[in-house]
Amino acid sequence: MASTAAAADSGLPPVVYNDDVVRKFTIAAIFWAIVAFLVGVVLASELAWPQVNLGLSFINFGRLRPVHTSGAIFAFGGSALFATAFYIVQRTCHVRLFGGRALADFIFWGYQFFIVMAALSYVLGFSQGQEYAEPEWHLDLFLTVIWVCFAIVFIGTVMMRTEPHIYVANWFYMAFILTVAVLHIGNNIALPVNIYTAKSYNIFSGTQNALVQWWYGHNAVGFFLTAGFLGMMYYFIPKAAGRPVYSYRLSIVHFWSLIFMYIWAGPHHLHWTALPDWAQTLGMAFSIMLWMPSWGGMINGLMTLSGAWDKLRTDPGLRFSVTAVGFYGMSTFEGPVMSIRSVNALSHYTDWGIGHVHSGSLGWVAFISFGAIYYLVPSLWNRSGLYSKKLAAWHYWIATFGIVLYISSMWVAGIMEGLMWRAYDSQGFLQYSFLESVVAVHPFYVIRLLGGLCFLSGALIMVYNLIMTVRSQRTNPGIEPFSGAMPVAAE
Amino acid sequence: MFIKHATIERNAILLLVLALGAISVGGLVEIIPLFTIETTVEHVKGMRPYTPLEQEGRDIYIREGCYLCHSQMIRALKDEVERYGHYSLAAESMYDHPFQWGSRRIGPDLARVGGKYSSDWHYAHLKNPQALVPESLMPHYAFLADSALSYDNITDKLHTLRAVGVPYTDEQITNARLDLETQANALADPAALLARYPKAVSVPGNAKTVTELDALVAYLQVLGTEVDFAGTNEESLQQ
Amino acid sequence: MQENLGDWIVGILVSVLGLAGLFLWAGAQDVEMTIFGLALAGFAVVFVIGLIKRHYDEKDTVHATAKARVNPHG
Repeated sequence: MASTAAAADSGLPPVVYNDDVVRKFTIAAIFWAIVAFLVGVVLASELAWPQVNLGLSFINFGRLRPVHTSGAIFAFGGSALFATAFYIVQRTCHVRLFGGRALADFIFWGYQFFIVMAALSYVLGFSQGQEYAEPEWHLDLFLTVIWVCFAIVFIGTVMMRTEPHIYVANWFYMAFILTVAVLHIGNNIALPVNIYTAKSYNIFSGTQNALVQWWYGHNAVGFFLTAGFLGMMYYFIPKAAGRPVYSYRLSIVHFWSLIFMYIWAGPHHLHWTALPDWAQTLGMAFSIMLWMPSWGGMINGLMTLSGAWDKLRTDPGLRFSVTAVGFYGMSTFEGPVMSIRSVNALSHYTDWGIGHVHSGSLGWVAFISFGAIYYLVPSLWNRSGLYSKKLAAWHYWIATFGIVLYISSMWVAGIMEGLMWRAYDSQGFLQYSFLESVVAVHPFYVIRLLGGLCFLSGALIMVYNLIMTVRSQRTNPGIEPFSGAMPVAAE
Repeated sequence: MFIKHATIERNAILLLVLALGAISVGGLVEIIPLFTIETTVEHVKGMRPYTPLEQEGRDIYIREGCYLCHSQMIRALKDEVERYGHYSLAAESMYDHPFQWGSRRIGPDLARVGGKYSSDWHYAHLKNPQALVPESLMPHYAFLADSALSYDNITDKLHTLRAVGVPYTDEQITNARLDLETQANALADPAALLARYPKAVSVPGNAKTVTELDALVAYLQVLGTEVDFAGTNEESLQQ
Repeated sequence: MQENLGDWIVGILVSVLGLAGLFLWAGAQDVEMTIFGLALAGFAVVFVIGLIKRHYDEKDTVHATAKARVNPHG
């Protein structure tokens, strides 16, 4: 199964794209989205009412949380990235995916195998004990093989391109693939106890281990959850809006400043700790500077719509993408604020961090992915459009309401915790015990759960809508529902 | 500009090489000095590698994901020092592979929980936290009391830790099993254990088997107790 | 021809991984390695069978089309 590019207006011979692997990854992204959101809802309930874990060790908060974070980041986000990367690179390079079908299939099935095995190992109690890098050494090695294959296919396709320029979305995907490889290897250098056990010890310890971990952890955000998804923004927003990217020059500045500065920001996760002050200060300075490239990218995305804002009313996918860029702007402002040492003294260790992460992951990552998925499914299955725009609108509003509930409850809870922990009474003693802060945030944990339920419900509406789209009447084969050449920025 | 961007975006390899350069600078500038600047890890008295039982407990702490709710890092802030004790030193986690500083306090910080409560309290609390603290959100860990600790590979573990930089002596590695069993048995004579690992706290396990709970409690009881703060001052802790 | 070469390279890579899985399974000292080794070996077997099946399915389709072209009525 492959679709033929609209060759008429480009004058080039038609290319048979490998859309089979794109379809598989799209389905996987939707499936893992539901799993990750569902596990998130379970975890939110466990925090509101601890007896929800039913006393079962394998669904205790500590073992289940990595399933949620890896599920959201690597399973849902990762599958969405693979799908869009393979879709975009073929169309913007005007060439079939490099490396043949078997390699693409191996990347798909191998990555899914990795996800399932990682989730299984967490609930069985095997973890490296480093956030977002929980898989043990054997799974890390397996993922490295998959990632190298991914790099070969993507870069190979770019090198075979028939277009002279590499499109801006592909710069971001290339930086994402390259940097994630460097980070993954750097943070996972561990010595197994022996080759037949999953247990290993990282070669770094203490302070050095902490900095390497957050160099990895923050740039998992910067390159996995930002650079890759910016690639999506730079393709799907111009495509859906039918306008070229607002500024070519801004794209260049955005790309190079973002990838250069992000890598420095890690130490802001370690303010006031035993990490030496010079490293903290460096991390804080670059985190604040990072605000500028982030907003440069946001402006580039939003301004692409100038002259096409009316499409927000008629194109539900575009509405998701544009709202995502709005949330991106908000989170990338909140992040630099939280990286200021004096603010961080209050916000760190509290639910404010959880709220911040979710405004980024739900508002930016999930929304830009939903936007891409609403575009991709009719295109890949050759349908004239979505089954129901009305249901997509319902998804949009329920999910947005869910995010607002989630992040506002976490702001209140987080700031309250921070203030209670540092409050002194008139005698000069600490006013509250730790437990009092736990009790005080309970109502907000329930509100957070409601927010998560809204987000999950919205996603289930999407699943129904997409199934009905695929089952609907097929459009005349040979005509792409979204034909037309890629709008390219003026040079 | 000295190089036209059109040149870069027409050449995939050039783009990749320049991107690799751009992403390498920050990491190298921040990470390498941490290994070369001598004062990064303070010179303090009292730090020793974990006993075999404590190390096993630490592995269980990681296995159960305790770090996702409990930090082990008291920041240098007035209220934290008053609530939890002396701010954490880099030296205190220098034998921690991996570090467990954490990023969220759903429960309180544990960096100096050692010695704060009796071992009996920890046993009761881990089995049923709500029995002691009704409002607690903590899951029950009674199953740890029913699982025998599997420590067949404790010698391998200490060897591996030595390979990554923990200064276990040959004597400590040879006696690993013996030390582990001694520390989990309140009736055993701890003299040899204490000679190898000063301040090790024996836990009141049952006489028949060493359980996973014994190991976890031994680990909790050593947290933050090793450094001899009497011999330090602000200047000597300057990084 | 090129698809064939890709099938061979990927097939061999996956077989090597599957073999590694078998070794890990055989020597495994904990439950995670047992499951991972077994699953990796199983993954490799199923994946390679899938490659072989697709190869012959496509050959069959080509034959069927060719036959149909020679004798459109029978």
